[in-house]
Amino acid sequence: MSDIQNKIQEEAKKALESGQVGLVIGWGAGSVPFKTTPVFIEKPEDVEKLVWNPVCVNNLAVYLPKMARDRKVGVVAKPCDIRSIVTLIREKQLKRENVFIIGLACGGVIDATKLASSALSEVPEVPSAETLREQCKVCDSRTPSVSDVTIGEATARAEDLKIEIEGLSEDRQAYWAEQFSRCIRCYACRQVCPGCYCDTCFCDRIEPKWTSKKATADEAWMFHATRAMHLAGRCIGCGECERVCPVGIPAVELARELNAIAKERYGFDPGSGEEEKPLLGSFTDGDYDPAHHSE
Amino acid sequence: MSEETTKLEEKTEQSTGPKEWQPSILAILCNWCSYAGADLAGSARMQYPETVRIVRVPCSGRADPMFVLKGFQKGFDGVMVLGCHPGDCHYAKGNYYARRRIALTADLLKALGIPPERFHFEWVSASEGNRFSALIKEFTAQVKALGPFEGVARKR
Repeated sequence: MSDIQNKIQEEAKKALESGQVGLVIGWGAGSVPFKTTPVFIEKPEDVEKLVWNPVCVNNLAVYLPKMARDRKVGVVAKPCDIRSIVTLIREKQLKRENVFIIGLACGGVIDATKLASSALSEVPEVPSAETLREQCKVCDSRTPSVSDVTIGEATARAEDLKIEIEGLSEDRQAYWAEQFSRCIRCYACRQVCPGCYCDTCFCDRIEPKWTSKKATADEAWMFHATRAMHLAGRCIGCGECERVCPVGIPAVELARELNAIAKERYGFDPGSGEEEKPLLGSFTDGDYDPAHHSE
Repeated sequence: MSEETTKLEEKTEQSTGPKEWQPSILAILCNWCSYAGADLAGSARMQYPETVRIVRVPCSGRADPMFVLKGFQKGFDGVMVLGCHPGDCHYAKGNYYARRRIALTADLLKALGIPPERFHFEWVSASEGNRFSALIKEFTAQVKALGPFEGVARKR
């Protein structure tokens, strides 16, 4: 593992020294064990701050639209983060030539909240089934689809995981009402999402006022439902929204469900290729017709 | 209330029975087809339930999923989106974009647990006034059977 870490530092140093990039975004040690934090390296001598271990969960693609607007930026990225980068390029929020991708092979990352309870003294090299993050259980991207440098080889999952994600409850309306009633409208889910890059989010608009600032259950419903719709066919399922939510709303479930439909019905897999058009920005003649199926 | 109006109300109640609950329905109609279809239904004096509140949009492609969500948030019992038949769009392809978008909106509503019977998407042309009135009747009956929508914030 430290091998991979050394290689990341090496590549970052090379890129910074040659002047190829002015900034490298990666993970650094956090202030508490089992936590990492994003670090922004501008000087070659600082590359030692870069770390790699299975608690490097942050999707660093979120910084790219703003930071790589006018200059080339290096970014350390897991395969899922690269799917975000691909989506950003497709949506013209990022130029391919403005990003230097240090791609990592990944065998899944750890859910730090699960780790604390399992009382481990050090971070394991490969996450075990109990500590694996929910979205890593359903993830198929093990190697970077696009990258400038690839580090490591695809790590197999700790074991053959046949873990089923808990199904949603029967009465979904009540389920979501219960979930959204906890929402305090902090918008952390939006801030951490690489897909939420709009300059003015619909929920910050005064006119038209799509949602009010009140933290009531129906306003929260409107916010989350609209956010799910805005991420349809764009969400790559990194699960960052779920991780940062202070009240534990599983917002990614909605997007995951819409993505499954997008894949099955339109053969669209967000983050899989650079050239594709966005799902809702294109159509084909033989598209599924909701008019003939609604009754 | 004057005596006369009370008598009149009593008389109406006698003739039609107590006022029945009627659903309120939000209909988002394309200006070039279904809105004109609704207009035709009106000018031809075709009867359809007064449950429907019509919002005119320039194209079904303008029917933002947020309109649908907002309708449910504000407590409409049912929402429908009507657009031009495939191939007939005034703007050549707006309804093709709508087709994908509205299909996914319906899926999102399903995922959120809103009964699919409360949402309806259909192609209605400007000449289909009778079809429009039939659709409204049908959808009204369908939503009425489900009863009032208790809102998106309903808990168990």
